[in-house]
Amino acid sequence: MLLPEFEFHEPTTVSKACEIMGQLGAKARLLAGGTDLVVNMKKKVVRPDHVVSLGRIDILKGIIEENGLLTIGACMTAAELAGAEVIRSNLPALADGARVLGSPLIRNLATVAGNLVSARPAADLPPPLMAYGARAVLTKTSGERSVDLKDFFLGPGKTVMDPDEILTRITIEVPRGRYGDSYIKLGVRQTLEISLVNVAAFIRLDRPDGSITKARIVLGSVGPTPLRAVSAEKALMGQSPSDALFARAGEAAAGDARPIDDFRGSAEYRRDMVGVLTRRALSAALDRARSL
Amino acid sequence: MKRLIRLTVNDKNYEIAVKPNQTLADVIREEIGLTGTKKGCEMGECGTCTVLLDGKPVNSCLVLAVQADGGHVLTIEGLETDQGLHPIQQAFVEKGAIQCGFCTSGMILSAKSLLDQNPEADEQEIRAAISGNLCRCTGYQKIVEAIQSVKDQGSVS
Repeated sequence: MLLPEFEFHEPTTVSKACEIMGQLGAKARLLAGGTDLVVNMKKKVVRPDHVVSLGRIDILKGIIEENGLLTIGACMTAAELAGAEVIRSNLPALADGARVLGSPLIRNLATVAGNLVSARPAADLPPPLMAYGARAVLTKTSGERSVDLKDFFLGPGKTVMDPDEILTRITIEVPRGRYGDSYIKLGVRQTLEISLVNVAAFIRLDRPDGSITKARIVLGSVGPTPLRAVSAEKALMGQSPSDALFARAGEAAAGDARPIDDFRGSAEYRRDMVGVLTRRALSAALDRARSL
Repeated sequence: MKRLIRLTVNDKNYEIAVKPNQTLADVIREEIGLTGTKKGCEMGECGTCTVLLDGKPVNSCLVLAVQADGGHVLTIEGLETDQGLHPIQQAFVEKGAIQCGFCTSGMILSAKSLLDQNPEADEQEIRAAISGNLCRCTGYQKIVEAIQSVKDQGSVS
């Protein structure tokens, strides 16, 4: 299967990459892990005249923790995220999402930024990232902007990014206090699976046996973009955790979902599963919060 | 326009002029002539094109050769030594883990990567490690047994 011809650029700094994207704009596509772009180019879904690789920009690889702010470089692979101690200990739901993305072979290539900019509704990293309130930093020659991920996605394959912008890093304020998080992916296979439904949950408690002071529920694959289940979050705030509360939150989340029928599953099944998975994700998040 | 890239494949150094739209799988097979690396789906789903790139198993059909410039590649041809087959290869032969053989290169390289990092891998970990490699003969049981037998001998090198 042949790839169409293109000109290849391999900048070694972010500023050079921005300069190239500033000149080429929509004629160019950025290449990170390639697990999406190369496949789409083979299928002739996209035919860029220029491909700009980010793979030689060392600053885009790695994680920095500074003053409670975690900065994840755009080109961190899923395997590196899943294995990073700072992620596993502070943001275990993100490690869980990274561990179930694609296959072991894909995880050695696919990057965190690629999983965001491809904007697939079923992607594995946006729900956990959104559950922490993560932000994407978009860089171009004239400057940078930081976008809350809940405002980043516009629809399948569509984001707020301009053609000359590069997603250079993701920033997350490391949660403080007694918090717990979780990510659950539902599919029919364990590998190389596109989620039927996925749910990420984040809760914070004021005391080990206290009430919920912060709640974020994010639903994937049940709408054109990953969705915050706002009414489920409202139902949880200020309440003390219980199975009954989590069941009510699950029902609320099912109401927030906007699933469609497709060959992988019916809208009705997906909606039901949002309820079940939200309940389970909250229980798992509570266990983590209490075990801190 | 072609570019000159440097690749170390199975400990041999190559300088090859490649086009940007050639994948690593194509360059390994067609320019270097090592056809043990297979091309199945060419979409990153089947794992027959698995090679170790800088020690990590990847789908070589999704990597542009120019991206691999300067990299170290291990293909199935790099496993056999003067002493004979690699223990994982030997185990595949002895346990009947090869049927049509098309997935075998990728299976063995994924298994090698696992056992290099985790010589004590259990069955669950073995199944997870080869989960990106499809065997359309569906001979998974023998493949898992072969990998387990290498682990039990403790003879991975």
